[in-house]
Amino acid sequence: KKFPESSKVASGQRLGSENLIDETSDVEDLLKEEEDYKEENNYSTETSVTEDNEEEDGDSREELGGLFRVSQPSRECKHKLDSLDCSRFHVEAPHDWDLEEVMNSIRDCFVTGKWEDDK
Amino acid sequence: MATQSHSLSYAGCNFLRQRLVLSTLSGRPVKIRRIRARDDNPGLRDFEASFIRLLDKITNGSRIEINQTGTTLYYQPGLLYGGSVEHDCSVLRSIGYYLESLLCLAPFMKHPLRIVLRGVTNDQVDPSVDVLKATALPLLKQFGIDGESFELKVVRRGMPPGGGGEVFFSCPVRKVLKPVQLTDPGKIKRIRGIAYSVRVSPQMANRIVDSARSILNKFIPDIYIYTDHMKGVSSGKSPGFGLSLVAETTTGAFLSAELASNPQGQGAAVLPEDLGQNCAKLLLEEIYRGGCVDSTNQSLGLLLMTLGQQDVSKVLLGPLSPYTIEFLRHLKSFFQIMFKIETKPCGEELKGGDKVLLTCVGVGFSNLSKTLK
Repeated sequence: KKFPESSKVASGQRLGSENLIDETSDVEDLLKEEEDYKEENNYSTETSVTEDNEEEDGDSREELGGLFRVSQPSRECKHKLDSLDCSRFHVEAPHDWDLEEVMNSIRDCFVTGKWEDDK
Repeated sequence: MATQSHSLSYAGCNFLRQRLVLSTLSGRPVKIRRIRARDDNPGLRDFEASFIRLLDKITNGSRIEINQTGTTLYYQPGLLYGGSVEHDCSVLRSIGYYLESLLCLAPFMKHPLRIVLRGVTNDQVDPSVDVLKATALPLLKQFGIDGESFELKVVRRGMPPGGGGEVFFSCPVRKVLKPVQLTDPGKIKRIRGIAYSVRVSPQMANRIVDSARSILNKFIPDIYIYTDHMKGVSSGKSPGFGLSLVAETTTGAFLSAELASNPQGQGAAVLPEDLGQNCAKLLLEEIYRGGCVDSTNQSLGLLLMTLGQQDVSKVLLGPLSPYTIEFLRHLKSFFQIMFKIETKPCGEELKGGDKVLLTCVGVGFSNLSKTLK
């Protein structure tokens, strides 16, 4: 219900500005505006749906039948408590070592790289 | 250790080893609850039970209580005894899983530890025996743990799922540890590695070496990767191959990376060329992280700094691993020690990512059970 109004306002503004530039493109612009409007509409329905879902989830987590509370530790916490006991530190975002730039970032870690002045 | 101190309480099976190790060193009992309590298969797994049995073997007078479902563990540590021990490790985890904790405990035994461990020497999860030999042993030497009897040897190689490997580890005992100042990582002067293959064509190891060299040669010419092909009874029960690489710096720091093939019957077959290249890239990642101690041994280094004489110790590390961060929290609760942590941004230098400088004053731990000769 909000969107028709806003689109009208928007189209009025656009028409006003475009009158100065070109009058022949008005029809095309109107068509475009309709498309825009549809897209906006779709977007709004999607967001409302996801919001509803979130609310339902929240309800079920807090209370069940108005009496019981479902105890659900956050997924992250649960994951951490019983996850694999391992000292290895895995690389999460590996670099692309084929790139010259990335290779250069560790050049001076080697004896073949540049040395400090005092050594 | 004689005083009965208040026990510490934890939940979940994660970080089990560090809790039990710190408990043993500090003498504080621990109680661990809710071990996989919500799992379809609750309680301690075989490899954890094997770890607890190992602790029982190397200590004297430990009290271990586990409830019927295995979801609660109470551990009251005894005295570290050492001596000659044999242990069959679970094949679900590699020997590295057990060895990492033994490296923390071995210097503080009453009698020098000489232990034979049987099981999986190389897998995809834990640091392998080869990597620990090349990185953890030099680290212990920095703290004054050295001598002829300091040895770690792969007698037989065993790959998962069958295992069948055998490792010999012996470590001298020390009364006190030296404080360290590991603030200069130095520059990498050479890269060494071991390409191993068991129960597959020995040509696999050569293919790994060629592909790994093709990447590392762009940085440094001094590279030597040994090929290790064990045969007969020394080759364990399952086929497999892999590579471990170690970069040594001018100041004696060691950075490592490793990869192993998928266990027989699990996952797709891995090409040795891909494995070699990926492992070389992993080593470059480790070099990018940098520091004086590599990422798998961070917690070992910090533990030995904590247990040092009452003097200042410093170490420069790459980014702290999640395991190390949790270890620092555990160190605080068991030894009431806090590290000073300063970040050292990398700036414009071509020396990899940001580093962290950790400083602490040792708690002055001394090995009272060591016999005087």
